[in-house]
Amino acid sequence: MSEADDPTTFEQALAQLDEIVARLEAGDVGLEEAVRLFERGQALLAICRERLARAQQRIEQLTTQGEPGEPDDAGAPF
Amino acid sequence: MKTVGARQVWAVQEITAALARRLAGIPSVWVEAEIQNLRQRGGQVYFTLRDSHQIDASMRAALFERLAPRPADGGLVYAYGRVEFWAERAQLSLRIERMEPAGEGAMLAQIEAIKATLAAEGLLSDARKRALPLVPRRIGLITSAAGAARHDVLNNIWARFPADVVLADVPVQGVTAARAIVRALDALNAIPEVEVIIIARGGGPLEDLMAFNDERLCRAVAASRVPVVSAVGHEKDVTVCDLVADRRVSTPTGAAQAVVPDRAALDARLAEAARGLARGLGRTREANAVAIAQRTLGLIAGLRAAEHRSASQVAATGSRLVPAVQRIAGASAHAVPVVHDRLVRATGARHEAAAQRVAASAGLLEALSPSRTVARGYAIVRDPASGRPVVSAAALRGGTELELEMRDGRAQVTVKETHT
Repeated sequence: MSEADDPTTFEQALAQLDEIVARLEAGDVGLEEAVRLFERGQALLAICRERLARAQQRIEQLTTQGEPGEPDDAGAPF
Repeated sequence: MKTVGARQVWAVQEITAALARRLAGIPSVWVEAEIQNLRQRGGQVYFTLRDSHQIDASMRAALFERLAPRPADGGLVYAYGRVEFWAERAQLSLRIERMEPAGEGAMLAQIEAIKATLAAEGLLSDARKRALPLVPRRIGLITSAAGAARHDVLNNIWARFPADVVLADVPVQGVTAARAIVRALDALNAIPEVEVIIIARGGGPLEDLMAFNDERLCRAVAASRVPVVSAVGHEKDVTVCDLVADRRVSTPTGAAQAVVPDRAALDARLAEAARGLARGLGRTREANAVAIAQRTLGLIAGLRAAEHRSASQVAATGSRLVPAVQRIAGASAHAVPVVHDRLVRATGARHEAAAQRVAASAGLLEALSPSRTVARGYAIVRDPASGRPVVSAAALRGGTELELEMRDGRAQVTVKETHT
């Protein structure tokens, strides 16, 4: 993982976040790397939270129903 | 025809001949009916086709005997034939050329045939099934706007997560259903933000669910850009749409669980990740705390050793450094007493007050959780040119510019002298 891999889905952001937490919690990274990981983790958290905040329980109905020239259901056999 | 007085009078034969002309040219049709009163006479089989009405029918015995399975009295059939008119008795009947069993048996056979076709193309393979997104930007929902399924699925989704939904209103049974659902799939696939599609319909008799065994519909599901969840019928009603979809569910609750996460659980997971970040950084700082403290103290000692600085200047700069020491040491409460002792020695009695603030902060810091400590901020000694944290005093020289980054701002400091 590197900063170049900007997550495009929520799952990717979450997976990267989990990986960073695991590396930080392992406690064997240097200070410089730890600060870098921490900042990256904060950015990923922000991405996840922003994504969640976007969901607004909106509903839209498609209006493309009922093409003209549909075969008629009813009618005479001949 | 003859004229009697003012009337035109016709022979029966002329009437039946006229009827025969009228009835000629009627095309062959498929009829669905129950077969009754089967009997054979000579080379012909005679029977009645009926629903609430009835019509006599016949078929060549040689053809009838080849039918497999051969229809019996009371059986439901699809019969293909044309209207036959026997002029001598003005009797109408259907002359049947082909006949197949109808009803549930026929539908099941049709389902099996479609299933076999799609399976042979690999479209029912588990390997094709795609993972569903954890948090779809928008959800496409194909169902009848008037049906109970719409309400049930939406309520279950929103009970878990406030997802945005695009609804495609379609008939979910009858001859127009399959085509409308195919169009809805196309329309939803054309919306980039739609990342998963649910096709939903309640349970029902087999014939009501036949749209979901339609080959075109099933192929459209297989070809969908985004994963499709089939929420059609009850557990026992398995349609081909269920088999070709990326996920099959049999309840509105199942549909909701498939397409959205539980918001509360997800929030808890993110909060735990945030705590994990703080813990992880704290752990690293634990290991580095002494090194940080030494570096900071080195700066203070440097200030004090600079004889040309006035005492008040040293005191002022030392005071500015104290908050940095507090925060740096904050991750490592047990390091604070060490810092305290050395700070007292380094700064002397004049800075006793500042040193006491550091000591007092030790108790406070212990009361803080790691996450709160981080929320309060942390101090990092950086090289202002590169922005990188400084991890060794060895690289520092008198006059080196450093930057202390704290919760609420930055302090620029200059190294007077180093001791390594």
